[in-house]
Amino acid sequence: MLLWAALGLYGLGVILTFPSVVRRRPALPRSALVALACGLALHGVSLVLAAVRLHHLPVTDVRAAVSFFAFNLTLAFFLVYLRYRITSLGLFMPPFVFLLALIAALHPGSSFHSAGFRGGWLGVHIASMILGYTGFFLTFVAAVMYLIQESALKSKHPDSPRYWLPSLEECDRLYYRSLLFGNLFLAIGLLTGFVWASRTWQGPWEFDPKILATLVTWLIYLTLFSTRVSGSWRGRRSAYGAIFGFAAVMVTFLGMTFLSEQHGFLPKP
Amino acid sequence: MNLILVGISHRTAPVEVRERMNIHESRLPAALADLVARDGVREALILSTCNRVDLAALADEGAEVETGVRRFLADYHHCDLRAYEQYLYWQRGREVVRHLFRVASSLDSMILGEPQILGQFKQAYQTAIEAGALNGALHEISEQALAVGRRVRRETGLGTSAVSVSYAAVELAKKIFGSLQDKTVFILGAGKMSELAARHLISSGASSILVANRTYDRAVELAAAFEGTAVPFEALFDRLGRADIVISSTGSPDFLITRDHAERLLAGRKQRPMFFVDIAVPRDVDPAVNKLDNCFVYDIDDLEQVVAGNRKQREREAAWAEQIVEQEVDRTMRRLAHKELAPTIVALEQRLERIRTAEIERFRGRLGDLSDDQRAAVEALTRGMLNKILHEPITQMKSGTGNPEHGALVQLVRRIFGVNE
Repeated sequence: MLLWAALGLYGLGVILTFPSVVRRRPALPRSALVALACGLALHGVSLVLAAVRLHHLPVTDVRAAVSFFAFNLTLAFFLVYLRYRITSLGLFMPPFVFLLALIAALHPGSSFHSAGFRGGWLGVHIASMILGYTGFFLTFVAAVMYLIQESALKSKHPDSPRYWLPSLEECDRLYYRSLLFGNLFLAIGLLTGFVWASRTWQGPWEFDPKILATLVTWLIYLTLFSTRVSGSWRGRRSAYGAIFGFAAVMVTFLGMTFLSEQHGFLPKP
Repeated sequence: MNLILVGISHRTAPVEVRERMNIHESRLPAALADLVARDGVREALILSTCNRVDLAALADEGAEVETGVRRFLADYHHCDLRAYEQYLYWQRGREVVRHLFRVASSLDSMILGEPQILGQFKQAYQTAIEAGALNGALHEISEQALAVGRRVRRETGLGTSAVSVSYAAVELAKKIFGSLQDKTVFILGAGKMSELAARHLISSGASSILVANRTYDRAVELAAAFEGTAVPFEALFDRLGRADIVISSTGSPDFLITRDHAERLLAGRKQRPMFFVDIAVPRDVDPAVNKLDNCFVYDIDDLEQVVAGNRKQREREAAWAEQIVEQEVDRTMRRLAHKELAPTIVALEQRLERIRTAEIERFRGRLGDLSDDQRAAVEALTRGMLNKILHEPITQMKSGTGNPEHGALVQLVRRIFGVNE
């Protein structure tokens, strides 16, 4: 119920943000921020209640994980908006959050529980993974904003001066920092995942499709990170990489759930 | 509200006439003092810039303010005003408020949205206050005009895009680099335009300047002016990689910076972006450089095109600004009217209340001993009648605000109810 209320507030936030972004006002309207903040608060309360009920972080089924992801994204939106004042984030983040929250609200609650799912390692594993994905979503948004701004500058037809988009350097800064953040948490997530799996699962688990997909994703992001640090890739190419990387994240996060035996968080027949 | 405005601007008069009608800053206090000393004039505001002279005056109800203002202008400029009649515009009441709001919002400026006018308006406002010429409704209107100017600046894109080539270059640089702090500008070839662009970049925060020119002495001279460093022309490519922004205007017949050059420069600076502003004709930078990732090349035509686009953009934003002005005029007029009406309404209410209490007093004997309930009923009955009687005249007075005949209506109501003085 709380999640539905949060969802409603997110929706309201999206609707209220929209006109100011379209009209290219220099700041997001306070009403939209208040709606999103209230949504965030309710969402937080619903997570805390679930955590109290389950005695661990509510991330152990698809619905809960998606909901937790949406919560993190909203939090990240506020942190980044308050820090960098990037209005155009309002165009990208709240709608995506709304979509995720909607999936979480519509998805039937899973009754899937196993003894192993209570382990502390697992909670850390899933939470770090989701934090990593949150970072990568920001990288993705930074990349999209970069590409739009860059093509406007290259085309030399800035008929509509896109001052609602941040400068290329600001996009790059957000890109780099979120990439660093994402890589860090993905590494922690993978590590804790391996530790937990080797303790809990019997038989060969290394070839689980979701694990393989995650490794591929991590490889993509490691490449992006190392080329960015060494200075061999920057700008457009990095931006395309980040978009590709996020597509891999979505496939890993949602798609592989249906293919994987061990990560299939769906109720089993 | 007996408010009048007379003005002359770039829209109505050529520069010779505007010069003639200009009131110099140093003489404004005296002029304002003279104006408010005229018959019936209570408040005055004079805005005098190179593009316009606007003179607003607020006078007592029924005073012949136009004659006073005419006489003031004729005396001040020692001229026969009839010769200038065709250049002047006159406005009254609500129109004056609207005009002042539009002027402060830069909607009536020669260059739409130019930012100076708001500062000039503020100066005029302060001068008028210091001269003791603003102390009532006109003070409130002027203050509101400044607020509207700021609101338009904040909420619309009227003043946000550059409408000159050198500012367009700065704006583009900001879209690439964000803050220009810690950025290096390379001036390649000395010239008026490149100097101007460099000056704008420096005032926007660019910190270090490098200068190269075919004649080294000229480079040293220019570097000294910008507190930068002169670079020998032969060492150009060794140092060019340090620059984030390159302003190029040499007389070279061929491309000075080719795609190969640019690729090497980028590799040497870890692909950090470079912005080439090529204002030379023939061009100094090969347009193919723009195709490279992280390189942005704008030649003079590109910049002109940006400026033209920005002009159109400003016109679109102006429509939005006009709406804001209209809204604010409505609000201000309503507030002024209520303020203006307040004493009349209070006087009306007091007058009728006196009649009511006197009548109750007179009939006290005849009414005899009343119970509390009965006394309350008499109170309610008489009060109710008064309120119903007053309702219509007050509504009429409130609804007619801003109309020229409004003052007469208020006077009439006052006379009918006998509350004149």
